[in-house]
Amino acid sequence: MGDVRDRIEQRDRLRDEVLPHDTVVVLRGGPDTLVKIVRHARRTEQRWALDGVPLLGVSVFCALDPDGPASFDGLLASRMCSYRVVHRVPAGKLLAAGFELLPTVGRPHYTIQMMCGDETEAAKLLAVLGPPRENWHHESHVR
Amino acid sequence: MSPMSVEPGMTTMIRVDIAADLNDEDETGFVWTYLADARDLSLIRPGGVVIAGEPDSPAVCEVVDLVEERSGTIVHLRLLPGTIEEYGALVRRAGIPV
Repeated sequence: MGDVRDRIEQRDRLRDEVLPHDTVVVLRGGPDTLVKIVRHARRTEQRWALDGVPLLGVSVFCALDPDGPASFDGLLASRMCSYRVVHRVPAGKLLAAGFELLPTVGRPHYTIQMMCGDETEAAKLLAVLGPPRENWHHESHVR
Repeated sequence: MSPMSVEPGMTTMIRVDIAADLNDEDETGFVWTYLADARDLSLIRPGGVVIAGEPDSPAVCEVVDLVEERSGTIVHLRLLPGTIEEYGALVRRAGIPV
């Protein structure tokens, strides 16, 4: 797995941002599977660290604004347009399930932090993310 | 590989040039993945156009750059506009032999 010093420490890079978790919807392009979640979390772990330990997690986008590129519709239409389906869940539901949402890199990107990144935890995350739902912006391009 | 709908009523198998989680971004604002996840390393050159992502959720991307880091070689990808289905339709419409 390599030395933790080979990874980019994220703590000082996290955005100073309060997530309004009662209103914000979290989006992740899908469809996700246990295997994908585990593989993607390991890829993050290989590159990033948090507080001196490898950071396990998967990337998501939060619909932070009522309109514009960081809105629910804006994300589906642009950043996530290539995804035929997306998972979407209220931020509060993820937090209530025990997952941490880290404001990583540029707004509105977040990382769902995982503790061990095994299939059991991936199954829990997959259950919280819910079923993949059609991205109507993708479909409008296909038709 | 997984089947993916490319046109209503049709499915095909998408083979990606480089595996990536297209949700991943880093401080550059681009999608990132590891060069080690490429099917054919010779395809991954700055300016090159590749199919990236997962077989069931691919996208057309431009290779922006390759960056050596201690954890491995990072490939930055720019998501190109539109969907892979639109690029397929473009090629067929132009009559480009494939």
